[in-house]
Amino acid sequence: MTAGLLLHNAWANAPPVSIAGVLVWIVMRSRREPLWAEAYRRLGRSKRALGAIFVLSLCGGIVFLDSLSWQGSRVEEPKTVVDRLFDRPFERTYSEPMGSATVGEVTPHRLLGKHVFGTDSVGKDVFYKVLKGFRTAFAIGGLACLVAVPIAVTLGLSAGYFGGVIDDVVQYTYTVFGSIPDILLIVALVLMLGQGLSSICLAMGLTSWVGLCRLVRGETLKHRDREYVRSARALGASHGRILVVHILPNLLPVIIISVTLLFSGLALYETILAYLGVGVGSNFGSWGNMIDSARDELTRDPSVWWNLAFSSGALLVMVLSLNVLADALRDAIDPRLRTE
Amino acid sequence: MQATAPAVRAEWTIGVALMLAGCSNIPNPVDWNREPTYFFAFGSEPQSFDPSVSYNSGDAAVMDPVYPSYFRYNFLKQNPWELDLDVGLAAPLREPLDGIGPRGVAFHGETWTFEIRHDLRFQDDPCFAGGKGRPVIADDVVYAFKRMADPKVEFPLASNLADKVLGWDEYSRGFVTSRADAARNAANYDRPMPGVRVDPANRHRFTVSLNQPYPQLRYLMAMHFTTPIAREAVEAYGNQSSLYHMVGCGLFRLAEYTPHDRIVLVHNENSAGATYPTSGAPGIDQALLRDAGKPLPFLKRVEFRIITEPITSYNLFDQGFFDSLSVGQANAPVLLHASKPGTSMSRRGIEMLKGAYPTIEYLAFNMQDPTFGGYTLDKRKLRQAISLSVDSESYVELMNQGLGVKADFLIPRGLGGYDPSYKNPYRQYDPDLTRARTLLAEAGYPGGVDTATGERLTLYYDNYVDNGPSDRQREEFIRKQVQALGITVVSRDTTYAEFVDRTNHKKVQFFNYGWVADYPDAENFAFLLYGPNESPGPNNANYHNPEYDRLFEQMRGMDDGPARNEIIRRMRDFAVEDCPWIYLSENEGPTMYQPWVRNRYSNPILSNLLDYRGIDVERRERLQTEWNRPIWTPLAIFALIAFAGVVPAAQTVHRHRNRRVRKRISEEPS
Amino acid sequence: MIRYLARRVLYTIPTLIGVSLLTFLLFFMIFSPETLARRNLSAKNPTPAQIDRWVHEHGYDRPKAVLFKQHMQSMLTFDFGESDKTKDRIMDRIKAGAFPSLELGALTFGFTLLVGLALAIVAAYLRGSYVDAATMGIAVILMSIPIVVYVIGVQYFFGKMLRYGPLAGYAPGPDGLRFMILPVLVAIVSGSGYYVRLYRTFLLDETSQDYVRTARAKGVSERAVLFKHVLKNAMIPVVTTTVAAIPSLVLGNLVLESFFGIPGLGNYLVGAIGTQDFAVVRAMVYLGTLLYVAGLLVTDILYAVLDPRVRLT
Repeated sequence: MTAGLLLHNAWANAPPVSIAGVLVWIVMRSRREPLWAEAYRRLGRSKRALGAIFVLSLCGGIVFLDSLSWQGSRVEEPKTVVDRLFDRPFERTYSEPMGSATVGEVTPHRLLGKHVFGTDSVGKDVFYKVLKGFRTAFAIGGLACLVAVPIAVTLGLSAGYFGGVIDDVVQYTYTVFGSIPDILLIVALVLMLGQGLSSICLAMGLTSWVGLCRLVRGETLKHRDREYVRSARALGASHGRILVVHILPNLLPVIIISVTLLFSGLALYETILAYLGVGVGSNFGSWGNMIDSARDELTRDPSVWWNLAFSSGALLVMVLSLNVLADALRDAIDPRLRTE
Repeated sequence: MQATAPAVRAEWTIGVALMLAGCSNIPNPVDWNREPTYFFAFGSEPQSFDPSVSYNSGDAAVMDPVYPSYFRYNFLKQNPWELDLDVGLAAPLREPLDGIGPRGVAFHGETWTFEIRHDLRFQDDPCFAGGKGRPVIADDVVYAFKRMADPKVEFPLASNLADKVLGWDEYSRGFVTSRADAARNAANYDRPMPGVRVDPANRHRFTVSLNQPYPQLRYLMAMHFTTPIAREAVEAYGNQSSLYHMVGCGLFRLAEYTPHDRIVLVHNENSAGATYPTSGAPGIDQALLRDAGKPLPFLKRVEFRIITEPITSYNLFDQGFFDSLSVGQANAPVLLHASKPGTSMSRRGIEMLKGAYPTIEYLAFNMQDPTFGGYTLDKRKLRQAISLSVDSESYVELMNQGLGVKADFLIPRGLGGYDPSYKNPYRQYDPDLTRARTLLAEAGYPGGVDTATGERLTLYYDNYVDNGPSDRQREEFIRKQVQALGITVVSRDTTYAEFVDRTNHKKVQFFNYGWVADYPDAENFAFLLYGPNESPGPNNANYHNPEYDRLFEQMRGMDDGPARNEIIRRMRDFAVEDCPWIYLSENEGPTMYQPWVRNRYSNPILSNLLDYRGIDVERRERLQTEWNRPIWTPLAIFALIAFAGVVPAAQTVHRHRNRRVRKRISEEPS
Repeated sequence: MIRYLARRVLYTIPTLIGVSLLTFLLFFMIFSPETLARRNLSAKNPTPAQIDRWVHEHGYDRPKAVLFKQHMQSMLTFDFGESDKTKDRIMDRIKAGAFPSLELGALTFGFTLLVGLALAIVAAYLRGSYVDAATMGIAVILMSIPIVVYVIGVQYFFGKMLRYGPLAGYAPGPDGLRFMILPVLVAIVSGSGYYVRLYRTFLLDETSQDYVRTARAKGVSERAVLFKHVLKNAMIPVVTTTVAAIPSLVLGNLVLESFFGIPGLGNYLVGAIGTQDFAVVRAMVYLGTLLYVAGLLVTDILYAVLDPRVRLT
């Protein structure tokens, strides 16, 4: 590998590494805050929460491995760690998990390799497809949240804190946005920007900020007239400082819970979009695409169930962990609702 | 006084069970089997039932039984197809016609003289005086031609006739008025049409005058565009796509159309006699001739259920609620396997019949694309190399379950000009790809890498994903094949409408497309590579070879025969060397039939197959009931488990709670 | 109270205008009139003349401001005009499709709520037992599976294998209720999880109130506490969240209608999206918004009626 190629590879891998680094740094820093330390302790006591966090870390690990990629030479496609470890040769067509021959063909052919989850209609390894789907799901959830959260938080804080005209404008905006059926807005945006990961994320982000905005606004209203805000203002703190340094941290628990649920909701919604034909497109492996393709497969003879089962299984695992985590976070904040 | 909650649950379970006991899974109304009704699955919302506009084979299945034409294809003959008289009384007379054209150029054309039957009547409809259908005259067919010339009517094949029928353009131009001006609109149709005229001596006879030989006119006379159209109907119901009002003289008439739900046709009492054919293609099943000579139709009613999900249609067919089902790409895998001997479907007597419709599926390069288009030797080799990397046989096997054959050229089986012994040198797949790799290297891209820039060659595949999973699967298949050469394939997904738009603006690079015959003549396929037809015309590869064009102009007016075949052979050699297309396959779409359907025969070029079908009513009722008995055991087991699961918990909690009352408050968990 | 309501009603008008403007802009930015024409003309390859004619006929070549004014005028008078694709009157199709959608929406929503409420009551009553934990656990799992999977699965198992209900289709009237069996089943399985958890939260919220503790101390049985006191008070948030969910009902069942062949508004919309029938989509967006805004209004009113504290603000 030439020096130029090495630099090129390093540059390409900078984003995922830096994102991972930032996340780790955030977690480490927050442990020093007494509020967060207490929250971590409570979370640590719940076995379910630990389980969920472990599973999500595993998912995150897969995503991270799938983001690190490099090219062997200039003309090679950059391949990720997941590609190198798990990509298998293409078979001719479907095969059962751990099967030895193809199925659903006029004459079955012997398989070239072992496929733990079977293969799909063009012979691609289903386990590999499922792994690639993690990155898409996280990308959709993450990027869409990245679009939705800043909008929601900024508008919600401004509306709740400043009130008056700003509040009216923000309420008007989110009523208008919220009234348009989500699916139409997404279809319109996707058709305008072309199919692909970024247009889907943008579209989903723009349709999901409303709920969070309402929540943030409500909470800001509650906090606005509290003692600590008044005293901060008396001490001469600027509005911006009050919002960011004083009020926002108090909203963070609620925001984090909402974002967790939003993340899982977005991952589920992507399957509906794939069903309607406005999903991420065939260049990206996604669970939505796999589930959509599986629509007719169940009634084949022999029934092809593994595509559907493993993609929805992976989706279930991820969404379930997020929901359980959100539950645990809520319990950590409000103990009255605990089940155990 | 045990826990109430489980008791409540018990009541509910019993109530639900009672409700379910009264239900059934029959999707038809209660008295559905009173008269022989045929149930058919309709896969998408109908777009138009206007005979001058509709160009969609799905809608034609509903329209053609209502709107017959001069000819109809013989039900029992295919490969080759034969035209029988329907509305027509006798074979048309063709005579040469010479004259001077609009720009003073002499032409050598012909006139066709048609005579329709004298005993036809339109169906009864409120648009006629007294509500009774009137007799059909030649002027009604001429009226149909006038509508085709009316630019507001959006007749899809206008370009086929505009340059051939005398005075067509001029007549067209006389139509331009705003839609709102109804009176002037009607007057426009009073003008006589120079190229299509009623014989003043015989009101059932009319002539069509052309400026060039056009043997394909007889095929046009077999399509619903040339059906007799009642002027009263158009004026009563508007010059629009009459989805709710069809007025024709066929064997059926429209009784009901409920959007997203169903379309219902019933027998048209005014229809003149039509009879079942007395002979068929050599070698056909003798059972098909049981009804020879009998009056048609055998059905009194046809119901088209609009079901957009192919898997739902398949399941309903499997349960016996549809009488036949066409096998499309979406449900092909299921149906093909289900019809094999030994499977549940074949044991019940369900049969799958094949029918080869002349059609071609292909991959095309945009010849104006800078990277992959062009006529120089190296560009040709590039395309030939890619052509050699795609395995048609696997394609047919995997994508279409073996329903179809590999295509070597664009003229399909059953048409004059098809050569069964021809082998396209660039469509012979070799898994080792030796020749492909050599050609690719000679083109300047050894191993897929451009020697000039050192970059890997990328092919953009313009894909449209409206039809669901099969589009994706096809793209993945092609990608897999081409990438074996070392070329990167990137998919550009769009909706079908967007794709058409991009094609028309020549912004595509490589795409998949197909063509279904309008009529069984080689001209209808050869014109897809005719230069002047480039985008936005049907030649969406934008292929332009002057030699090919010249030969095309020679062959199109010829009748089938060895002379024509020779010209086609020469055209083929040019087209194959230039390799603008990768010919994939001629796909077949078989049909599945229930055991109680009579006269099961798939002649795909006919759209009015319902005219010939019959139903064995008692057998259907019996088998349907037999196939659809609900299975209650799992529900019972579930209810039992739920009940059993809750009772001990309830008892424990109750005992716990009752004990708690005696304890101190401080120990009460909150 | 009246002032509050009047204010809320007035507020809906600028919302409607805003939504119309937004959708109008969106749609005109995506689809060039040419694309629309090509999509809607039946010819395989229309000539430029045919396209121009179609564009002119449908009025897409006039200046945007004029178009918008016309658009708003027709929306306000509910004159949706004709579909671009099939030329039948959109209002007629909406009227025809409204009842099936309503029927489906009401049944799915109603059953989901009932099942959710029933299970929530059971879980709250048997709080702490394994039934409670199991119910909550199952609810979370059910919530985490996409609806498309449920539809495929239910159609396969309950429709095809067990034959409890017709796979698709629709008929009006009590006779046609059997067509609702499978869609309602899907709705219950996919949706009740969320409601079970929500209602359990409300119920437990109430049970931790002081008056419940008092009742228990007085010796009232747990069953009476739950049914006589807690349930009634928990109804307030239950009803208000229920009503808040109604606006999304109208177009919310796209997947169910499309899969089970129910000729409702959702199916109509999905079809229009697929064929890019702008006239229909425009009408449906407007209708959807109208119903949504009306639903919000009703929610606010109900909130004001049920919860006296709101009235005083």
